[in-house]
Amino acid sequence: MSRRRVGSIFVVAAVALATGFLVAGQVKVQLLTPSNQVARYQALVRSVQELEASNAQSRLKIAVLRSQIDALEAAAAQRSAATQALQSQVADLRLHAGLTPLHGPGVEIDIANGVPGADSGGEVGYLVNFKDVQDLVNLLVANGAEGIAVNGRRITPLSAFSGSGGQVIIDQGPPVSAPIMVLAVGDRLRMEAALGDPSGLPDIRAREVQYQLQISFRGRPDLALPAYDSSLDTRHVGTL
Amino acid sequence: MSARYRNRAGGRVLGVWLIALLVALVATVQIRSQVEVERSFAGTDTASLAFLIDNLHRANDSLQAETADLMQRQLTLQSGSDTAADQVLTDEATRLRAAEGLVPVHGPGVVLVVSAAGLQALDLQDALNNLAVGGAEAMSVNDRRVVLGVPVQQTPGGVTIGGVQVQPPWTISAIGDANRLAQAADLMTQQMRADRRVRQATYRVEADLVIRAIVTERPFVYGS
Repeated sequence: MSRRRVGSIFVVAAVALATGFLVAGQVKVQLLTPSNQVARYQALVRSVQELEASNAQSRLKIAVLRSQIDALEAAAAQRSAATQALQSQVADLRLHAGLTPLHGPGVEIDIANGVPGADSGGEVGYLVNFKDVQDLVNLLVANGAEGIAVNGRRITPLSAFSGSGGQVIIDQGPPVSAPIMVLAVGDRLRMEAALGDPSGLPDIRAREVQYQLQISFRGRPDLALPAYDSSLDTRHVGTL
Repeated sequence: MSARYRNRAGGRVLGVWLIALLVALVATVQIRSQVEVERSFAGTDTASLAFLIDNLHRANDSLQAETADLMQRQLTLQSGSDTAADQVLTDEATRLRAAEGLVPVHGPGVVLVVSAAGLQALDLQDALNNLAVGGAEAMSVNDRRVVLGVPVQQTPGGVTIGGVQVQPPWTISAIGDANRLAQAADLMTQQMRADRRVRQATYRVEADLVIRAIVTERPFVYGS
């Protein structure tokens, strides 16, 4: 074998070794980092799922306990007129607080995501967000709603709305996202008029045009709202 | 063509195939990895997930506290005594009257003062919602009690609460967990100060804040 040929074999071997190191480095950077991201993300998702399962169990337990307490109170009310009067007062207060199911005439509002604009960049204006639900609930309250439920979650006097992006968190419930159905029992005609008023819900109306956000409503002769199944927290409040 | 030449050519083809196979393997792993990242990140980012987890932890703690409270109430009722039943019902009525804004209340909390021109009902609704998210259990604005059933509306004359005009400056009182409310108030006042319409936005924490304003209960006409 000539010296020239041995030299060329060494050059090829060196180039192959360098290429191997480069490929290994690239694989480490390009493959392992996303894999770690996925693992981290999946761990977060698993946490959310476990917490949501625990949340659902607690809410179910609360609903069962409230129903059992109702039965015990009713039994106690049969034994004394004073207890019966108290139970009647509490029943009325629970009705107003959203702790018991409610039915009556009302409106059903459906709101769904629009489409992302071509030049929207990272904006999420096409998604239904918690402020949309908050605005809708406030509009209904101001126009004769006596009880409201959002995707089956009953609104109470202490309800709060939060969330990020297209997620809507109501009180202690798990997040809900579009399509969202709002049911409101109350003065159906007033609520329909308010929902049909083009000057109401200005932000939603603007995004209806910009992102084709979809909102529709229809009056219903008899709607049924579920009872609130979470905590009505008043631990820090004392009466005077 | 000699046998030696055919063997060399066959070896080259095998080498090319091996390299092609390796490249295809690496490319497939790379593409699948990226697709998985994109698919799992669709819709929700990690910051939103962290926010969700924090919120669910707090929510679950609150639900567990409510469960413990209900179980205690159930035990008391199961004792079978009329006095015990009356006490449970009286306590429940008091709690609900406070939640519905039907009685004056007191407790720890924060007081925000917002001096501004041009703020709308939507701004006030946002502020009240932020405090509710921050754990407010009772609120008032300029001595008008606010719960979710009380309409906060925009009129030509300004913002009204339950049909009564509330002129700025707004003094917003909120009773609840003072630490959480202070965090919410701090963030809110910072954001408000960045708003050109706001002249001044301050808050203070109070150990025992009193809200005397009450809401008059509206009888239900349509729902039953």
